[in-house]
Amino acid sequence: MDAVSLIPTPDALQVHWFWLHLLLTLTTFLHFVAMNIMLGAGFIAFATPFWRGNDVMPLNAHIAKTLPYSIAFTINLGVAPFLFLQVLYGQFLYTSSVLMAVYWLSIVGLLIISYYAVYIYRLIDDKSGLGRLFIGAALLLLLSVSFLFSNNVSIMQMPEVWLKYFSDRTGWLLNSSDPALIPRYLHFIASAVAIGGLAIALYFEIRKRRGATDGEEWIKLGCNWFMVATIINFGFGFWFLGALPENAYDPATLYGKLFFIMIVGSVVTIIPSVAYAQAGRIIPATVWALATVLLMTLARDILRLTYLKPYFSLRELPYEPQFSPFLVFLIAFVGGIYLVGWMLKTVWNAKEVT
Amino acid sequence: MNYPVWQLEFLGGGFLIAVIAIIHVYIAQFAVGGGLFLVLTEHLAYRRNDQGILDFVRKHTKFFLLLTMVAGALTGVGIWFTISVLNPSATSTLIHTFVFAFGTEWTFFVAEIVSLFIYYYTFDRLTKRNHLTIGWIYFGAAWMSLFVINGIIDFMLTPGAWVENNNFWSGFFNPTFWPALFFRTFFSVIIAGLFGFMTSSFLKDEELRTTMLRYSAKWLLVPFVLFLASSWWYRAALPPHIEVIIFQKMPQLRPFITLFLVCSGLIILGGLVMAIRMPSGLSRTMAAVMLVIGLMYFGAFEFLREGGRRPYIIYDYMYSNAILKNDLDSVAEAGILNTAKWVEHRHVTPANVQAAGRELFDVLCLSCHSIGGPLNDISRQVRMSSPEELNLIFATMGWERPYMPPFAGNEFEKQILINYLNTTIRR
Ligand code: HEC
Repeated sequence: MDAVSLIPTPDALQVHWFWLHLLLTLTTFLHFVAMNIMLGAGFIAFATPFWRGNDVMPLNAHIAKTLPYSIAFTINLGVAPFLFLQVLYGQFLYTSSVLMAVYWLSIVGLLIISYYAVYIYRLIDDKSGLGRLFIGAALLLLLSVSFLFSNNVSIMQMPEVWLKYFSDRTGWLLNSSDPALIPRYLHFIASAVAIGGLAIALYFEIRKRRGATDGEEWIKLGCNWFMVATIINFGFGFWFLGALPENAYDPATLYGKLFFIMIVGSVVTIIPSVAYAQAGRIIPATVWALATVLLMTLARDILRLTYLKPYFSLRELPYEPQFSPFLVFLIAFVGGIYLVGWMLKTVWNAKEVT
Repeated sequence: MNYPVWQLEFLGGGFLIAVIAIIHVYIAQFAVGGGLFLVLTEHLAYRRNDQGILDFVRKHTKFFLLLTMVAGALTGVGIWFTISVLNPSATSTLIHTFVFAFGTEWTFFVAEIVSLFIYYYTFDRLTKRNHLTIGWIYFGAAWMSLFVINGIIDFMLTPGAWVENNNFWSGFFNPTFWPALFFRTFFSVIIAGLFGFMTSSFLKDEELRTTMLRYSAKWLLVPFVLFLASSWWYRAALPPHIEVIIFQKMPQLRPFITLFLVCSGLIILGGLVMAIRMPSGLSRTMAAVMLVIGLMYFGAFEFLREGGRRPYIIYDYMYSNAILKNDLDSVAEAGILNTAKWVEHRHVTPANVQAAGRELFDVLCLSCHSIGGPLNDISRQVRMSSPEELNLIFATMGWERPYMPPFAGNEFEKQILINYLNTTIRR
């Protein structure tokens, strides 16, 4: 038996794969940004008391206040890429999900618990004492969820490990045989810490512009987390790169070339970002960092295509056009953006700094 | 056939999905009706200029937010995760047919969470008018989510012309779309009343508590007639062959029909009792009991809808075990062990005859039968008849036993599976 014969037959697309992939990449990017803010800020809230002791206010109170939102938005913005991923790569994703079914379903429970833990953390005044227990628990669970996501991606991209199903059909498989799994995971986590740090700086920067005076110290702290985590992440990044199959960055192939460009591009954009942050110019730092996250998201898409190349190509997916539902979606999408924009504007104009 | 089968034994037979789905749908319906409850009650507070009622709305919003945003949204993701591992083929069909319906629903979901957060945190920061507008946006988005998902859920029971023409709109506006939409809308208003009891009963001020309990009772009693009318319409809209199967040929569904009818009476009765002035301890207990009755009420309906779909997961198109109705004959001819992708024992020998039997069971039966679990336990089912009778049962699957798909394997595979049931399972 070989892996190719196991790959399920895909169902037909209603619009050209390009549109679906555009939506996939775009919403994945948004999800990553939200996830980075959530995980990174949570990490920093947990870690900072270790060397600052009790001196973590008001930073931790602000993180505690915003974490329930960022979890909610991370999940919300995760739904869309999960949808488009299933349309394009369902035959791989469903299979890997079945193989790790128990872990996969546990994610739901872990997320519910971590949300309520974060909520309790918010209610506890003593953020560096008892509070740490709750933020620590939430963080641990969120890190486990991330690890499970990395695993699913790993299994779905490597049909050659699917044969393990025949020795365990009860949904308890993880992909320990993938040498890229651990570095991939660490690379994501360090990225989250970096972006989380930058998000903290941006948050206090915005408050400062609206008249708050308590921000300087935390802007600095956020930027330092951003810099240190980024430097560490160069290490994880190279480790990850080294663990990839060689054809991933082989310039002789199209995917290899594109991947290489994305990697170089992300290095080229993250350096000015860190430099701006250190110079205290948070807005340009954020713009450059977002560019890096976008490039990394694209690199990840290309990498998936490389992994799946022996088994799959987007062009071969069956295609039976039906455009009208797509049109309805676009109208709802634009309408939704308008509504959300109106609501945010209304609040922004009404809200004083508290 | 196409995907690996997750060997879920104890929680199989629909148990896992039923638990998650019933909790989710109950909360999700609350998220719709409760949104209307919030804004209309806020209107009421302004109209009467009553700070007590406004404070109540605020407290209720907090409870609402914590419940719907977290447990509601996450169990929703949970349903997706669960169906995609329990029935990947059907999930794939739904996703590919309705990708943009799901996408549209997601945009409403975004509007929902933004508006709800804003609504909760801006009670005294926004002008009354803007705050109410945000509340209405929330309700509008929540109801639109219901509108969209309603089309997809009912598609599974009554896909209508889609089966022939594969057209998105035929599947979405399927034969039960409208009655189900009214049914669910009214039901969500009733649930809002049930949860209203819950938060009202915690009010300390007796006057206000009684006012709000009576107010919540109206939410339950007023739409009730409309709700019953829409359930009647729902039943009438079912294609005749499905109606006959659900109400006459599936004895295992009868208890749920009874439960549904009994709960209808209890809800009315409970609604009337709640309007009586009573001590807060008692009203709290009553409110909790009412919530449970509501859950059972709704659970009974969901069991009927899900159970009534048997032997299909998408009616007239795909059986619960993911075999397409159109493929049945060709699969039966070629044999399951030859055509299923995720099968190891393609050649049966005395050494692997049990393992091959197990694989046949996994592919053909596990989607509906648990092994040793609370729902539709195969060991119990097998023990209810003698070893010889199994042959007859297999021959009548899909005919006299309309709740099961016709046996999709060949003659040889039938004997292997029966042998497995009579040995390993019967033990
Ligand atoms: C579409 C779902 C479904 C599938 C697939 C399914 N069954 Fe059933 N089966 C049921 C239901 C529902 C019952 C009736 C339970 C009751 O009456 O309580 C049942 C009952 C039975 C019974 C008891 C006899 C009877 O009719 O009440 C046996 C034996 C049985 N199934 C075996 C199997 C075997 C073997 C397979 C696989 C070839 C299978 N079933 C596939 C749903 C299914």
